[in-house]
Amino acid sequence: MLRLSWLIGGAQGTGVDTAANLFGAAVARAGYYIFGSREYFSNIKGRHSYFTVIVSDLPQHSIDTTVDILATFDAETVFQHFDDVTGYMIYDKAQGNIGVDKIRSIEGSIAKSQAKILEDNGYGITVADVVKYLSGKGVKTIPIDYGTIMGNIINELKMNPFVAERARNMICVGASLALMGFDEEHIEAAIKQIFAKKPEFLKLNTLAVEAGIKSAQNAYSIKELKVTKSRVQLDGNTLSALGKIYGGLRFQSYYPITPASDESTYIEANQLLQTKNNEKQGVVVIQTEDELAAINAAVGATLTGSRAATATSGPGFSLMNEGISWAGMNEAPVLITYYMRGAPATGLPTRSGQSDLKLALNAGHGEFARIVIASGDHTEIFSDAALALNLAEIAQTPAIHIIEKTLANAYSIIDQDSLQKSIRIERGKIVYPEAPEHYKRFAKSEDGISPRAFLGHAQMYYTGDEHDEYGHISEDSSNRTWIYEKRIKKLEQVDKYLKDDQKANIVGDAETVLLTWGSPKGAIIDAIEELKKDNIQIEMVQVRVFSPYPKELVINSLKGKKRIIAVENNFNAQGAEVLTEQTGIMPTNYILKWNGRPMTRDEIVNSVKSILKDNTKRVILNGGK
Amino acid sequence: MEVNEEACFNDWCPGCGDFGILRGVESALSEMKLDFTDAVLVSGIGCSGKLPHFVAGPMSGVHTLHGRALAFAMGIKLANPSLKVIVDAGDGDTYGIGVGHFVSAGRRNVSMTLIVHDNRVYGLTKGQAAPTMPLGEKTKSLPKPNINGPINPIALAVSSGYTYVARSFAYDTNLTKTLIKEAVAHKGMALIDILQPCPTYNDINTNEWYKERIYRLEDDPEVHNESETLAKMTQAIKNAYIGEDKIPIGVFYKNELVPTYEDRLKENISNYLTNYPAMQKIEEKGGSVTDITNLLEARKVI
Repeated sequence: MLRLSWLIGGAQGTGVDTAANLFGAAVARAGYYIFGSREYFSNIKGRHSYFTVIVSDLPQHSIDTTVDILATFDAETVFQHFDDVTGYMIYDKAQGNIGVDKIRSIEGSIAKSQAKILEDNGYGITVADVVKYLSGKGVKTIPIDYGTIMGNIINELKMNPFVAERARNMICVGASLALMGFDEEHIEAAIKQIFAKKPEFLKLNTLAVEAGIKSAQNAYSIKELKVTKSRVQLDGNTLSALGKIYGGLRFQSYYPITPASDESTYIEANQLLQTKNNEKQGVVVIQTEDELAAINAAVGATLTGSRAATATSGPGFSLMNEGISWAGMNEAPVLITYYMRGAPATGLPTRSGQSDLKLALNAGHGEFARIVIASGDHTEIFSDAALALNLAEIAQTPAIHIIEKTLANAYSIIDQDSLQKSIRIERGKIVYPEAPEHYKRFAKSEDGISPRAFLGHAQMYYTGDEHDEYGHISEDSSNRTWIYEKRIKKLEQVDKYLKDDQKANIVGDAETVLLTWGSPKGAIIDAIEELKKDNIQIEMVQVRVFSPYPKELVINSLKGKKRIIAVENNFNAQGAEVLTEQTGIMPTNYILKWNGRPMTRDEIVNSVKSILKDNTKRVILNGGK
Repeated sequence: MEVNEEACFNDWCPGCGDFGILRGVESALSEMKLDFTDAVLVSGIGCSGKLPHFVAGPMSGVHTLHGRALAFAMGIKLANPSLKVIVDAGDGDTYGIGVGHFVSAGRRNVSMTLIVHDNRVYGLTKGQAAPTMPLGEKTKSLPKPNINGPINPIALAVSSGYTYVARSFAYDTNLTKTLIKEAVAHKGMALIDILQPCPTYNDINTNEWYKERIYRLEDDPEVHNESETLAKMTQAIKNAYIGEDKIPIGVFYKNELVPTYEDRLKENISNYLTNYPAMQKIEEKGGSVTDITNLLEARKVI
């Protein structure tokens, strides 16, 4: 199996994203998969952003801390990442004299630590010194004269230099693809697809890529693979949007927040839907004045029978709590897509984290059924988004779908037919189009779920106050006792509905278990294969549904295991805390990371080895820039 | 024995202005022949929030959160624009905790009716000053004279983009009914601010106090063509600031030339009004009717 790590970086606003996308599209055309992870500052222009892209003949789900090819076109990227590169570095020849002390956008503490690596090895602190340092380590460097190349292109096309400059990164992409040995027709085809309607940019980018290709020699000789099935390149935000649309979402309200808004803007841009019965349908997307309006408008929409949702991240979710509580009280099936990022407060707005699991599980005051599911990779995001809409309607209660920033902004190449397999639409107990006379919205029932009619179809009452079967305010103590229980016990129906593999992913069978949830799944899955090479067998238990908690399944899968290692992107191992609360089982060891960056495959490999060797209780990770 | 199973006991204080508003709402609904099949009452929190539970007749009610009635109402209306959505909320609800939604509702101009029960106090929490109480006023429930200045609901509504702005008096149920009927028929966002005594906590702005001061506005409030907009807005705001000695009631501003939010959505989704979210069939035999092939094709790389 090939697994090659390529990193492209540059100032925010200089097209690093576009470059990485085009790279992915070109690599895909040669028959390879990518997994690309994006890191950026909370900033519009100028701060360091980068994409780490894993290229492989098999689907991959994680990145590595080390980089085979570091592709740069500015000096800051060189300084930020030179200590991680193992194979090649592409850099701007004209910037050799620039010292790390001259780069204003780099944080002082990082500049200092990177300079120290060079100085400790007896070098100065310029790009030229980095080149020498790398040569000493056996890393090859490829100088490119970006300025001259861009000058020639600008002359040839007679273009505004400020506009043309955005193609600088494409020189870098061209050189990278040549270095790997990919045929240039792939990148040219990818450029043609993207810039089909903009001939000027098509020409510009093609010239830049061609110049890049000429700047590097084939070193990896990656062979083209034959592909028989269609593949798509998608990020987590888009996959959630697609899952929701496919799952019947017809109303989404949101307030702008990173990294959630891309989902809503994608839905709005694609709000006109095609349907199998050729009926014209559309999704209403409302940008509200705040998250309070976003959640409550979505809840209101559910009362009419429309599948409705909102999408937010930590700060917005905190504001939504009261609305979630009302939805619980009124058995309203609203979906909240919770993009988890670095917290508390504004925290690390553009970085990832898993610190809010317990917030999600306890969202809104009061005791009521909350459905909480957490996706571990891109295909799960798609199916979970549709599943969450089902679960909300089956139990008539709010559902929270957790997607971490790292997956939201990461890209994968996915087999197109892997997405829509066996996704059903289940709407639960619905009375439609007409309800009986004397309809009771909260009628008593065995399973705690009442037949749901929609506003306009029956006379009904909703209230945040405690209420009777009709939905009228009631403070009767006996009424309170049964209807309170109703709102909690109906969660059992969700547990009954879910299949085991929807509740948790159990991979392998070994005496050492990595217990996780969410994005660390990717690094673990990829690490399991790597550890096998050293004859280390690992099992993974990834909890996908936290409420209702799949107690029996988890207890059975952890029974008799020698070691249970909790792997999470937070300090307290919140998923493991829930495990203990629900089952009494405690992990034996922990692999934890809360620096805002995703776990990498090599971090998992090394941590597992360290735990097996020394029984390290808590391995704290700090990889990533 | 089944007792009072369908109706809620009305527990407002004797003499509360809410009774007058309730009668106005009931008469308007009955004269417009609206029932749960074509309308819904949405309310906030406080004494006014209970109104939907007290309405006689076949109507549905959604009693929401403090300050958020407009947000719920917007979700209901935009998911099912065939419903007439009437919101009842308090002055604290609307101009205090929910004032952000109040302003934003004007920007959108969704066709809804907002009826504000304006008695200048927070009744259900024992008479604290509401956002409409004048600076320095000291009702018997306040420990000190009100230290905050008042909001002017009419002026704020006009400047926020409301296209129907009126004021009534709780015990003028005829006017209240007429204004509600107009507001419900109005294309766009409508506010009816209803002056209302709170016999328990507001001993200053009493029924008698209002009766001595209120009079009917005579000015034509309507914008008949766009060139009149500024003049009519100015007139409305001027009338809104007439003051405490003489208090005008009636319609301050009306403008149906501004596109409603539903019209604006129709620009993006041409069949929005005939196939709105609540009526779209999303599944067939358990499978999704949505075809996302074209969306996936757009992201196809090989």
